[in-house]
Amino acid sequence: MSDGVPSLLARPDRGVLRLGKHVFPAGQPLIMAIVNRTPDSFFQPGVTWAESAALDRVHQAIGDGADIIDVGGIPAAPGADVDVDEEIRRTAGFIAAVRSSYPDVVISVDTWRHETARAACESGADLLNDSWGGYDERLAEVAAEFGAGLVCAHVGRQRPRTRPFRVGYADVMADVLVRTLALASQALQAGVQPDRIVLDPAHDFGKNTWHSLEVTRRLDELTETGWPVLVSLSNKDFVGESLDLPPEHRLAGTLAATAVCAWHGARIFRVHQVPESRQVVDMVATIRGDRPPTRAVRGLA
Amino acid sequence: MLIAAALCPAPPLLACELTGAEPVLPELRQACREAVDELVHADPEMVAVVGAAPETRTWDPRARLDLTAYAPALAGLGRSVPGTDRDAGNAGVPGPPEHTATESLRGLPLPVGLGSRLLDDAGYGGERRLQSVGADTPPVECAALGSRLAAAAPRTALLVMADGSARRSRRAPGYLDPRAGPFDAQVARAIRDGDMTALLALDAGLAAELLATGRPAWQVLAGAMTGHRPSCQVRYDDDPFGVAYLVASLAVG
Repeated sequence: MSDGVPSLLARPDRGVLRLGKHVFPAGQPLIMAIVNRTPDSFFQPGVTWAESAALDRVHQAIGDGADIIDVGGIPAAPGADVDVDEEIRRTAGFIAAVRSSYPDVVISVDTWRHETARAACESGADLLNDSWGGYDERLAEVAAEFGAGLVCAHVGRQRPRTRPFRVGYADVMADVLVRTLALASQALQAGVQPDRIVLDPAHDFGKNTWHSLEVTRRLDELTETGWPVLVSLSNKDFVGESLDLPPEHRLAGTLAATAVCAWHGARIFRVHQVPESRQVVDMVATIRGDRPPTRAVRGLA
Repeated sequence: MLIAAALCPAPPLLACELTGAEPVLPELRQACREAVDELVHADPEMVAVVGAAPETRTWDPRARLDLTAYAPALAGLGRSVPGTDRDAGNAGVPGPPEHTATESLRGLPLPVGLGSRLLDDAGYGGERRLQSVGADTPPVECAALGSRLAAAAPRTALLVMADGSARRSRRAPGYLDPRAGPFDAQVARAIRDGDMTALLALDAGLAAELLATGRPAWQVLAGAMTGHRPSCQVRYDDDPFGVAYLVASLAVG
């Protein structure tokens, strides 16, 4: 473990997560709905490329029980270059539109660039979902300046929009712990509020399928740090390779992984399919005893 | 000397901790609260809680119902579960002290335990007697037990925890038995009319076949009311889950 980890383990207000105007207690799982402002993301490419389609998606997701809307302007996979100006064009105006329709919903922006993060915060974003693990060190400064949250993700040594090439770890889960906690420590030093910091093991990012499976199996090691944990599992390649299925047929596998992560105490689930995911995380929360059944009368009459 | 009685059913779902986030049968719970409130306001010197159980015996009045038999998740959480509708109310109601989980206080039968909870919820702090009556006890013995309870204090009140048939519909716990409806109607009529003789005449064998577990407790009530024709207010009479629930207040006039 790197320096500073012990003090992080003792963080105050353990388990409470603040996002935007909301205070979420430990034990309340949150659904983050993916809204891609891209023509070329891997799952249902271009489905919300048009602004009206993206707004429809937001309405639907919130109606289906999403707690967070995650807006992204660049696919994770390599491809056509999207510069800062274009990324801001794709995201900032749309975030403002969502904020205008939903004054209270938590909005996150999926970006690694501080310029985009700044434009998003000015448009009303509450959370910076930095999928590329602190590549741009100024991102944390923006989060601190706007009182926004920050996702600290593990990507190994990957640069943005690169695929893992023969990556190996002595112990992938130990690497996840060290790197995400180090990012959290840097975020604190930059002035990000401690109850707005989230850790993400980042399945598939800098990981082969075996690594992502190991991280899933051992996710409790990350949740036991006391920091809220986000998982982004939705229809990813580790699901596809596990079951030999293309993206459009990965829902059941995604939900199985979702259930395991929920059981291990993950707090935020970044998903394409909101209603199914909502049911799974609520069911697991009920099994864990974090949430009561909605109505129990069987055998009790 | 008996001064009043209250009649309530004893399904586990009366305990809000067991039924989840949304209120279940709030009107039934309200009717039970009102019946027990009226009982407590009659100013009894002793309240006897009566309910059917495997054997006839008294229980330590400090004992409380252990709901973990129905919901193991409640273990260690005390009386309130976060997020259940119990959460809002009943702060400050005296629950069992920490040290009561001893052998002598375990195993309180469901009807007796639920009745004792109702007394707690009504704020009753006076003398209470927790009395179970064996499920197979013949009517005559039930009546004799009722007489003894009535005579146990100058102003005795009875809280009778008794259910009708659990075979009221195809979705009922015991599936439909066409005899259940007439049987329960007969019980309700006897209570409504203060006709204790009719309660004593209930057939124990038929009641058992119909899963009408309240039969011995009704007959304890009838024995306690011997010589009286109480006036009665029925507060609830329905079978929302296929079990007949009857809530009533009986005043000795």
